[in-house]
Amino acid sequence: MSDFVSVDKLTLAYGDTVAVPELSFGIGKGELIALLGPSGCGKTTTMRAIAGLMTPKSGTIRIDGRDVTRLPPSLREVGLVFQSYALFPHLTVFENVAFGLKMRKAPNIRERVMAGLESVGLRDFANRLTPDLSGGQQQRVSLARSLVVEPKVLLLDEPLSNLDARLRLEMQMVLKDIQKKTGVTMIFVTHDQSEALALADRIVLMKDGRIVQSGLAEEMYSAPRSRFAADFFGFENILPGRDGGLLAWRPTAIRLGDGPHEGTIRGMSFGGDYRTYVIDSALGEIKGSVRAGLPAFGEGEKVRFDLPEGEAVRLEAA
Amino acid sequence: MKPSSTATGTIIGLTLVFLIGPFIVIILAALTAGNNLAFPPDGLSLKWFIKVFTVESFRISFFISMFLAVFGTLTALIVGVPAAYAIARYDIPGAGAIQLAVSSPLIVPGIIVGLALLRYLVIPTGFTIMAALFLAHAALILPYAVRVVTSSLQNLRVDVEEAALILGCSRLGSFFRVVFPNIRGGILAAFILGFVTSFNQVPVSLFLSGPGVRTLPIDMLAYMETTYDPSVAALACLLAIMSVGIVFLAERFLGFSRYV
Repeated sequence: MSDFVSVDKLTLAYGDTVAVPELSFGIGKGELIALLGPSGCGKTTTMRAIAGLMTPKSGTIRIDGRDVTRLPPSLREVGLVFQSYALFPHLTVFENVAFGLKMRKAPNIRERVMAGLESVGLRDFANRLTPDLSGGQQQRVSLARSLVVEPKVLLLDEPLSNLDARLRLEMQMVLKDIQKKTGVTMIFVTHDQSEALALADRIVLMKDGRIVQSGLAEEMYSAPRSRFAADFFGFENILPGRDGGLLAWRPTAIRLGDGPHEGTIRGMSFGGDYRTYVIDSALGEIKGSVRAGLPAFGEGEKVRFDLPEGEAVRLEAA
Repeated sequence: MKPSSTATGTIIGLTLVFLIGPFIVIILAALTAGNNLAFPPDGLSLKWFIKVFTVESFRISFFISMFLAVFGTLTALIVGVPAAYAIARYDIPGAGAIQLAVSSPLIVPGIIVGLALLRYLVIPTGFTIMAALFLAHAALILPYAVRVVTSSLQNLRVDVEEAALILGCSRLGSFFRVVFPNIRGGILAAFILGFVTSFNQVPVSLFLSGPGVRTLPIDMLAYMETTYDPSVAALACLLAIMSVGIVFLAERFLGFSRYV
């Protein structure tokens, strides 16, 4: 076992309700991975178990070769950036970031805190109270607070979902930068496939407490193996192929205006670069996209379309 | 004026008359220069206010009331803060029943509480009057303590405590470093509320007062039975001013009404 973080047959339950049954996966040192899935898939529960905020029913969690399954959170050398940031409202930005160092009675607290604030661009905010900061700034304080104690693993709960588009890109850069500079192993939890794709080296896709598929971000995006994974990564057209297997197409892979099938346009959504049409046809509901510059179809209009088999992804499982 | 606003005005007016009226009557009666409790006063003087401080039994009962209010409230908080924490943070079986039990002194008439304590605590066990008064006051304040502290705990997110745990705190450490500083205002508000409630408490204290051990309000009643002079009115004024003063300062510096 050379994994830096390894989760082995981990079972997590709330009372008698099992949220995660026998989950196993491993993470290499310095990797940035995403636990991705819809709400209730067990991703947050898994993250909380790694942090020590939840006691597993069975199974083990190892970090850097050490079994931490029964250790309290304070001894696990992990950091956690909460979705709500969870800053201490009665303390200043400086005191928030210094908190973990003080608990460890670390030397050079002042310098280390200021360096931490510098790295997230908040040097000038040291003496502010945290409720006065914007959401983005609070998140960066939370990030600095977790990082100054040099955790072995940094956990992030939905790190981008509360941010607007511009801040999202900025935070993405900050996180990638941290990964490069500190080499810390990062696990983040998200329900948003675009977040996972943008940030993660590797994605673990979960459903009902089980791993559906895991792999490199690009591989997950281009080659989902199941109907669930395909659906999650935007293959909105899933139809049985001629051999009885399942084929999946993104809306952009559907050719509109010509082809063997015919349907009626029921609606359209404009997505900037593309217009995506919802088409009622004998095959069921089809979603097809056309570049925004091309002539548009009207609602109720009959349209011919093609599902090119060369563009389809063949799914292994239902 | 529309009829509805005339009615509203009348109701507000009457409310103020009945709330503040007695207060004004008592102040004026206390300022009398005569020897009888009378309204309107018979001339003006401060002599009854001075008299208050010379009555030995008032001095003793004032200290008893002070003692009960301060230590009864502290005891209620020492029991009530952990109880509030448990109710707010854990899924304890029977939390509803506990909350009901804790608020029962708010619902059960004080006379019944007083009688019950006298009959079943003081008489059979030989508890001293002082000990019984102390227990009764602590128990009466407990519901206020639990309620006020619970509501300020509900404003503090749980994940703030979890963050403290991950950053290296023990459970107890996170309570003192993170939870306590954030509910300090609520605890202070509970203290003030408890103090004022205890100090003004009559029915329970009435049953539990014995020879030589009386709280101030009970002592005032006893005094009036033998001596019908305006010093009781003067004392009532002083107590009212004290209560209003405390609540005013609490509101000013603490935003008291947020917690109550």
